[in-house]
Amino acid sequence: MSSDGDEMDYDDFEFEDDEGIEDDNGSQTSIGEAYDAFDDGVAGKPVKKDPWDISYQPKSVEELQEEQKVLVDRVCGLIDSDPSTAATLLRHYHWNPEKLSDKFWEEPAKTLHAAGLSPPSSPSSSTKPLPASNNAKASSSRSRLEPVPTESFECPICCLEFEPEEIASQTLSLGCEHRFCKGCWTEYLERKILDEQESGRVQCMEDGCGRVVGERTVIALVNDKAKDRYRVLLDRTYVDDSPQLKWCPHPGCEYAVFCKESPARKLDQIIPIVHCACGNDFCFGCGFANNHQPLTCRYVKLWQKKCADDSETGNWLMANTKECTKCNATIEKNGGCNHMTCKKCRYEFCWVCQGDWQSHGTSWYNCNRFDEKTGQDARDSQAKSRASLQRYLHYFNRWANHEQSAKLDHQLYQKTERKMEEMQNGSDLTWIEVQFVKRAADVLLEARMSLKWTYAMAFYMKKDLSTEIFEDNQANLEQAVEALSEMLEKPIDATTIMQLKSDMVNKTNYVKKRAEIILDDTLKGHYESRWKFTDRD
Amino acid sequence: MSGRNNSTAVRRLAKEYKDLSKEPLEESMFVAGPISEDDFYEWEALVVGPEGTPYEGGVFCAKLSFPKDYPLNPFKMVFDPPVYHPNVYSNGEVCISILHTPGDDPLHYEKASERWSPVQGVRSVLMSVLSMLAEPNVESGANIECCKVFRDDTPLFEKIIRDQVRQQLEIPPEL
Repeated sequence: MSSDGDEMDYDDFEFEDDEGIEDDNGSQTSIGEAYDAFDDGVAGKPVKKDPWDISYQPKSVEELQEEQKVLVDRVCGLIDSDPSTAATLLRHYHWNPEKLSDKFWEEPAKTLHAAGLSPPSSPSSSTKPLPASNNAKASSSRSRLEPVPTESFECPICCLEFEPEEIASQTLSLGCEHRFCKGCWTEYLERKILDEQESGRVQCMEDGCGRVVGERTVIALVNDKAKDRYRVLLDRTYVDDSPQLKWCPHPGCEYAVFCKESPARKLDQIIPIVHCACGNDFCFGCGFANNHQPLTCRYVKLWQKKCADDSETGNWLMANTKECTKCNATIEKNGGCNHMTCKKCRYEFCWVCQGDWQSHGTSWYNCNRFDEKTGQDARDSQAKSRASLQRYLHYFNRWANHEQSAKLDHQLYQKTERKMEEMQNGSDLTWIEVQFVKRAADVLLEARMSLKWTYAMAFYMKKDLSTEIFEDNQANLEQAVEALSEMLEKPIDATTIMQLKSDMVNKTNYVKKRAEIILDDTLKGHYESRWKFTDRD
Repeated sequence: MSGRNNSTAVRRLAKEYKDLSKEPLEESMFVAGPISEDDFYEWEALVVGPEGTPYEGGVFCAKLSFPKDYPLNPFKMVFDPPVYHPNVYSNGEVCISILHTPGDDPLHYEKASERWSPVQGVRSVLMSVLSMLAEPNVESGANIECCKVFRDDTPLFEKIIRDQVRQQLEIPPEL
């Protein structure tokens, strides 16, 4: 029975249209919500169309809990166990019910033991569902270990004595023959949960005993604060354990995104950007908290490192400065002749050949006799640094420009809002009719984002025939973006407003089209491994 | 449940003390008990240097200080006077994994199973200390200078200890 219906397992994970999710979206402004009506895909519903597109589904905490419940119920049926045991087993097998049930039916005792559920002392005890009452655990394990307690029991931790008739209600064993009083259990569990942030893998207190404390036992023993924390931690491990789930990295967002295609191996070919229900994008592959299409995760990481670290400072120093040959002070020549006097050690040398000025005498610049191999090499490497720096700065400036614009999107929205008001006041356009400005701003931001990453991509690309098309596309988009941007900045003239509207709508559509073209082409190129990259540093 | 912690600790310590004093003295390698019966949170322990180690022949005195929430948290053990050993700080404090709670080690350098848990007690810790004396763990040393000597110059390491033991017994140091 274990293999029956295997294919059906992730049915509830399949992509569904996310109509409902837009409704819970509290983080967008009212304008944003109204504007959604106009949106035809900038914010992007995850409609799968090309092989390099991915399908995914944002999940709320409630949905995640429901999924866990469904899986637990399924496993209960598969291996005929109680929910607590099933959940512990599932956590051990990373929520893969097929693997679990295969293993379980192969070697039940070993499977249970590996998951921290000691082997059943009688064949039926683990598979028989436990009664659901609160002290079920205690009474059922008691029936296994001490059918009729006749002696009193002393808790090995707090040394309190319990009368035989108190044992069932006041003490607890997980079925591993280690019995402690409930007070000690409570303290231990609360501490594990609240201080050590453990949840699904808390073990028996006995030294070396790997028996896992079941969910129901924990819930029955700990205080409300620990209970809440425990549930949060369980949900967290559910997502952390599954390669197909990732938490949205945006602050305050409580959604996780489900993506079935587990793209880790294909990150050179696809860029799995997902749009979370909170309204933000992030990369399912590398966790980057924004859309970094069309550059692949690997190069995004390299690029960011490059921009963050000091390597370019080093390159700049290499390209623009020389060291005093005597005291090694770094000197930038900012004008004047080549007769240098070090400010620090007063050493006089020639900027061109870095030799002692003494030998130059009055024959200024006449230092070609130093033009030996070593001097040549030094200058070559300097020239190389200089070229590499220039190349980097070329792309960086363009990248940073769009990055800066994206950072200003807050201001842009405010400006846009003001503009829309102005338009309403200055003409007889209604609020709905001026929404095109908002749309232009949104399209502009999206396009800038894509454009930004094309520059980082270009930095790592090897130049060949295919890059020409890429550069053409890039230039076209850049041009269109700047034109639209200018249009948004223009003051409004009441008499030409209708003209402005039609121009802006046209330009918006054009920018959108150009952005789609470059994205489609680059993503297709990644998928086909058409682009060639070098890991320059 | 109010006041559970305090009475729990005292009850548990009293019980441990009772159990320890039941053991025949000539067989055990250590003795331990409260310094005064008025204060169960401060103990003194005497540990015998294990045979076949440089500590052989010595008797080492240590103070055990128990927290109010014992046995939820481990106690502290400080040799007085300090013992020269890679896992003992120069102030005499013993640093072994069983005296650390799992939360103490965010890098999970030590296995959770080697850590303090409420089922541990004076007995199990002192047994661990005895094996620590016999087999220092330089991987997580407390006295780095001593670790270096132990690693690089075993004869010197052993001589320092033997001299300490002799000094304690008021025998002149080895020549």
